[in-house]
Amino acid sequence: MRAAGLRPGAPNDAIAGVVPRQVFTPSSVEEAARFLGEATRAGRAVAFVGGGTELGLGAPPRDLDTVLRTAGLDRILEHSPADQIVVVEAGLPLAALSRALAAHGQRLALDPPLPERATAGGVLAANTFGPLRTRYGGPRDLVIGVTMVRADGTVAKGGGKVVKNVAGFDLPRMLVGSLGTLGLVARVAFRLHPIPEVVETLRVGGLSGEQVLALVRALRERQLEPSSVTALSSGSGWELAVVFEGFSAGVAQQRDRLVEISRGAGTPFDLLPAGDASAFRVRHDRIRTGPPVRLKVSAPPASFAGGAREAVSRLTAALGGADVVWYPTLGLAFAAGEVAEPARLRPAIDEARADLSRIGGSAVVVSVPDALRPGLDPWGEAKAFGLMQALKQRLDPGARLAPGRFVGGL
Amino acid sequence: MDPSPGVDKDLAARFAAIVGERHCLSGLAQRMTYESDGLMSLRELPDLVVLPASTDEVVRVVRLAREAGMPVVGRGAGSGLSGGSLPVPGCVVVGMARMKRILEVDLENALVRVEPGVTNLEISRRLAPAGYYYAPDPSSQSVCTIGGNVSENSGGAHCLKYGFTAHHVLGVRLVRFDGSAVDVGGPALDAPGYDLLGLIVGSEGMLGIVTEVVLKVLRKPEATRTFFATFPSTDEAGAAVSAIIASGVVPAAIEMMDRLAIEAAKKATGVDWPDVGAALLMDVDGPVAEAEHTSRNAIGLATAAGALEVRVPHDEAERQLMWKGRKSAFAAVGRISPNYVVQDGVIPRSEIARVLREIDRLTREAGLRVANVFHAGDGNLHPLVLYDARIPGQEKRAEELSGEILRMCVRFGGSITGEHGVGAEKSAYMNDMFSPGDLETMDVVRSAFDPERRFNPGKVIPKPRMCGEASGRLSGDAREPAP
Repeated sequence: MRAAGLRPGAPNDAIAGVVPRQVFTPSSVEEAARFLGEATRAGRAVAFVGGGTELGLGAPPRDLDTVLRTAGLDRILEHSPADQIVVVEAGLPLAALSRALAAHGQRLALDPPLPERATAGGVLAANTFGPLRTRYGGPRDLVIGVTMVRADGTVAKGGGKVVKNVAGFDLPRMLVGSLGTLGLVARVAFRLHPIPEVVETLRVGGLSGEQVLALVRALRERQLEPSSVTALSSGSGWELAVVFEGFSAGVAQQRDRLVEISRGAGTPFDLLPAGDASAFRVRHDRIRTGPPVRLKVSAPPASFAGGAREAVSRLTAALGGADVVWYPTLGLAFAAGEVAEPARLRPAIDEARADLSRIGGSAVVVSVPDALRPGLDPWGEAKAFGLMQALKQRLDPGARLAPGRFVGGL
Repeated sequence: MDPSPGVDKDLAARFAAIVGERHCLSGLAQRMTYESDGLMSLRELPDLVVLPASTDEVVRVVRLAREAGMPVVGRGAGSGLSGGSLPVPGCVVVGMARMKRILEVDLENALVRVEPGVTNLEISRRLAPAGYYYAPDPSSQSVCTIGGNVSENSGGAHCLKYGFTAHHVLGVRLVRFDGSAVDVGGPALDAPGYDLLGLIVGSEGMLGIVTEVVLKVLRKPEATRTFFATFPSTDEAGAAVSAIIASGVVPAAIEMMDRLAIEAAKKATGVDWPDVGAALLMDVDGPVAEAEHTSRNAIGLATAAGALEVRVPHDEAERQLMWKGRKSAFAAVGRISPNYVVQDGVIPRSEIARVLREIDRLTREAGLRVANVFHAGDGNLHPLVLYDARIPGQEKRAEELSGEILRMCVRFGGSITGEHGVGAEKSAYMNDMFSPGDLETMDVVRSAFDPERRFNPGKVIPKPRMCGEASGRLSGDAREPAP
């Protein structure tokens, strides 16, 4: 028997400080659809929660009656190892999925922090990712199908369960990063990859930002194919970890070549024993999830030697010396810290956004204490906002799905 | 009376004032050049064809079309195989032939910014001296345009490892129904807001006209290893594909051809392939040690699965010839049959052998022949249904068989199209794959972009329209004057 049904909302059900009147945990997609249709017809605002790992994203909802938790939707509906696909319900935690897939030598190549809690639907809705995005892409690159429930209770599928498929509009990608404001992600189909035979991590510390970018450029020029390239701030410089995966012969060749490149550059890498590699990963996850204020910066990769670096410096200064996770091949970074002076945060974000908008980038608040939320725009300006408004208006005409959480108050 | 007078002189003159007299095609003979795309069985004469040279001209063309109440159909090279750029009655075709500049090459950020009329292959040619390329490689890559690729979310043989167009487009400039131009995405990932780019790529020209594209480009892999293996039948070849994938290899490409397809490719390109039941052509690439290892493994697995012979090309020229044999297979079928239908469906890879036997049974029942060429790694079938239009009833039987094959793909859990798109050809099959609620949702999404149904109306989403009641504003036809 599942813990289904309705209960009153409690303070720990709050979304950005707003406590719902009630919490509903459906045990089937049909039940979720029925509930959602009735709720929105009655004018009640509903927000969706999976594992709750990314609830810091977005603005507080303008209105919130019910939190719909997907915890009761946690089945693996289909895993076809030969086709390397899996279809799951939205509330399935990634770690549980990984365990089931590993029995067949496969994995979903998505490695965000907190996999015991982060759910399949949640990572899609919040566009959550980890270091493997370097090689395998993010949620939008691995999702092949969804079942969504619209505000009016309509259940709609997009995509399918084959990797290659161009029939119909791409509802799966539409939902990536939509934070539950266009509909409930109810079921997800993903493309899978084989678990590699060998994984090796190489590390070098004490790098400047320019040295990180030079190494990244050299990796590409010398035709290496790392599965992740991750830099963590360390003192005044960077510690860089490069992971190679695959068959042992290929990994060995890539490792040796990286060592050769890095010696030539005067920044030699060490091969990390497994324990140290996981310690690096733990530090990475701590920065991504721990400190109370966390910001995500996106910009063209090479601009992290210029405009984007300025923006990141402004933010880390405002946070009183933040830690930073930087994915240099992707042009994405997360700065995380305490706020020494709350009054400095907003102007720093505004200035960083001004720097970044000149180079096509953005800065988004991933997490912030509720006390600092008033007057803070967590998203910044969105390009093509008129189209986003139209999309929201058509799919959720009554603005009942997490109203106000998304960009521009959508 | 002229069966298709086109637009009146005054209106034609106004379009000509935007794009220039030479680039505004209103004569019957000129318009007839545009009456079909790669799907030659469907024809519709456009009222007018314009060839704009800039985003600004596209904006003005769309505004004028709106004022005149004309539907707008975008067109790249017209090489699409599903009628995606088939004109609709009374439309203006907006051809991208003049917008073919590569605007920016930024290797620091591994991207290019291009106009939509540039061909797929031209980008890789331009980048080759620097050792970079654009990954998606449809077989038509020497003629098909990036704008068309974006519309169709085109694939190609090598998308098994590298993904489709959707994985490589970073941003677009889109001209909307009201003539506004918006930028979506760009050189940085994860722009705040909805993933509109995800919707635009693969929307088959129904959400607007793309006038600029930012694409991710890749460094060439260090090594590519190719082999060609022959098998007694598609059963063994299918088993070899399954074994290779199950071993943990992610090949760059695995292509399968059956007996008829091999015969056609030999006739067309002169490759010296034996007469066998099936053949596989496989690429693995990456760092040289990885490519060597995976290639050796895959050859071992193919042999264990019953390969009759495995050939490894001695040099790049021989490798290119092998690929030419494969890539010309569609056209090559013209050598063994006066007419044929090119089909595109997807099945779960694990069902290849069963599906091929089923196709074989249906083909025999219909008294026809089918050549099978496909991207076996991702289960993307291209059955080529052969017929002779001079024999009464054969064309109809070929179309029926082709439809049966698509429905079977859906029954096996696959798709009615893996890369050619739904277009005008397959909208009737969308009901086999999607529920009314699914299709209505897609139509709602479309209406958010194009509430007037100005762009490519009647494609993809099947008629009769079951949608529109929800908002009451969706039932307008783009031929009616704009409000």
